[in-house]
Amino acid sequence: MSAVLALAPRLRRAGGRDGRLTTALAVAAFAVMTALTLSVVGGLLGFSARAADPAGAFQREYGDSYVVLAWTAVVLLVVPLLTLGGSAARLGVARRDARLATLRLLGVTPREVVALTVVGTAWQGLVGAVAGVAGYVALLPVWTRVPFQGSTFSAGELWVGWPVLAAACVAVPVLAVVSGVVSLRRVVVSPLGVARRQTPPAMRAVRAVVALVAMGLFMVVLLVLGQLGAFAVAFAIGSLALGFGALNLIGPWALGLVGRLRVRRARTPAQLLAARRLVDDPRATWRVVGGLGLAGFVAGALAVVPLLASASAGEGASAAEVAETATFTGDLMRGALLTLGITFLVAAAAAGITQAATVLDRRREYALQVLAGTPVALLDSVRRREVLVPMLLVAVGSAATAVVMMSPVFGIAGLTDPSGLLLLVGCLTAGCLLVLAATETSRPLLRSVLAETQVRPD
Amino acid sequence: MSHTTSGPRLSARGLVKQFGATTALAGVDLDVAAGESVAVMGPSGSGKSTLLHCLAGILVPDAGTVALSGRGLHDLDERERSLVRRRQYGFVFQFGQLLAELPAIENVALAPMLLGTPRREATELAGRWLASLGLAGMEGRRPGELSGGQAQRVAVARALITGPEVVFADEPTGALDQATGQDVMRVLTETTRLAGASLVVVTHDAGVAAWCGRRVEVRDGRVVADERRAPEVAR
Repeated sequence: MSAVLALAPRLRRAGGRDGRLTTALAVAAFAVMTALTLSVVGGLLGFSARAADPAGAFQREYGDSYVVLAWTAVVLLVVPLLTLGGSAARLGVARRDARLATLRLLGVTPREVVALTVVGTAWQGLVGAVAGVAGYVALLPVWTRVPFQGSTFSAGELWVGWPVLAAACVAVPVLAVVSGVVSLRRVVVSPLGVARRQTPPAMRAVRAVVALVAMGLFMVVLLVLGQLGAFAVAFAIGSLALGFGALNLIGPWALGLVGRLRVRRARTPAQLLAARRLVDDPRATWRVVGGLGLAGFVAGALAVVPLLASASAGEGASAAEVAETATFTGDLMRGALLTLGITFLVAAAAAGITQAATVLDRRREYALQVLAGTPVALLDSVRRREVLVPMLLVAVGSAATAVVMMSPVFGIAGLTDPSGLLLLVGCLTAGCLLVLAATETSRPLLRSVLAETQVRPD
Repeated sequence: MSHTTSGPRLSARGLVKQFGATTALAGVDLDVAAGESVAVMGPSGSGKSTLLHCLAGILVPDAGTVALSGRGLHDLDERERSLVRRRQYGFVFQFGQLLAELPAIENVALAPMLLGTPRREATELAGRWLASLGLAGMEGRRPGELSGGQAQRVAVARALITGPEVVFADEPTGALDQATGQDVMRVLTETTRLAGASLVVVTHDAGVAAWCGRRVEVRDGRVVADERRAPEVAR
């Protein structure tokens, strides 16, 4: 075993330029995940501390609502963040698959192959976690400039403490190892790596039914809570998690459906290939754009928030009450914008990581296509199309869904208020551009893979 | 497609290719006539794959020329050579050239679609090719749902559907058992001959080479034997 483990550093160094690129991408994804998770946890701790020891009347009255909202942000971000970590681990393993499979054929035991993977991915996870901790510390001055509850947080309030930092440096490598080992099963089970690709069964429409029921339930909850007054908005936003759950159920199913429609209508090779990929694995595409679906959903809900301040100001409330409500809705907007920004970053990182993994998984296929005369520009076009079409669909679709779902409280005013709509369109455009830019990171990797891959060794 | 009738269809003169200190090709001359089938044989590392890559315009030789129907490939840039490969060449590799997410018929139709043929027309043509190669009823199957022999027949259909002047096959039976390999070679040589294309097969297997009308042996980057004989016929 020790002789095999001695190979680990060599395996790490043996990847060449694209090996370094994928390692850098995986480490960067772990770092982004760690830094953002720690920041969100820091915010949660900050709000909890203020609620436990309120500094004024406002914090005494609204403190608990802020904790609920902070938990909401954690709930909304935890799945995309964990998915990003999992994708990063799979990418790290993908690069090593071939060499590990060769070692397996040479007689290295499954346990030793797993051990090699554990060492490799744990190392990437650890480096990413340490970089993420540094990123979290570097981001603290940024967060301390954002006002909440009428005053900004101090760095001390957002400091998660050394035990949490240490826990992150353990938890991230563990997450990396678990994801890596799971995705390595095929090397262990079948070292020849004969991946039999078959037509995937279409996802059942029951997903759509369940999601529609969840959406209906959400709207009823909103209506009931709406009768209880503006304060219930906190609970309504809390139940966004339910909406997100519904979105996650319906998302992959809807993407598969759209893929099949686009296959039928495809005219060019790029359209056909991009549509077939969507049909082939809508869940994989959802893993990339799902985060943006969440962002679109939050942005859609956000579009109606500016109405709160104007609506509550006209009810004959005292000046102090109006100021308090304005502070609360302002904070709501800022918090939601921060959550949005983070989900955009996570979605962009996930897109970059997933596309890099796709290029590596299909390097032989791509190389043979290009050798047979397929233009590289077609592969680029398919890659962009693969992300762009589902992304637009998901971002716009989920924003529209959110506006519809929030309509029991705000009516169609949510659609007509220009500031809300501008915010929505601005957020979606920025997010989409960011994700598109992230997919371009796999462009040099594709070129490098095409340059390296031989038809077969002679 | 208009072919030059005089002179060889594919002609290589003085091909030299080095990888670092290793000489893969040390001055190879080779002519392939229209409709001719040539097996390029040699042990591992002899330079036979490098020769195929140079003939196909995948690799650019350090010295020497390759001409297709009298037109030199050395004058072309990568984009133009890619166009030649798409339009005038067909390829059958050992495995892995079919796109996993496309059903058989779309894998075949993709080649004419890349040349601008409308999808409906390309699909109809692909259906006819698959049927003529004994794959009727399997159009909707994806590569993972086909046997190795069936997948190679789909690859043959994909290589020939655009009416290429030359088909290159790189160890086309390397991933198949002997009986299936013989069957694929029969389909490949017969169909290529009927389509009027020349065939260049790189192999180390004498059984595979026996299906070709000419056998060229490469050692240390040079052609050391070149013999013509009657090819194996369908049994």
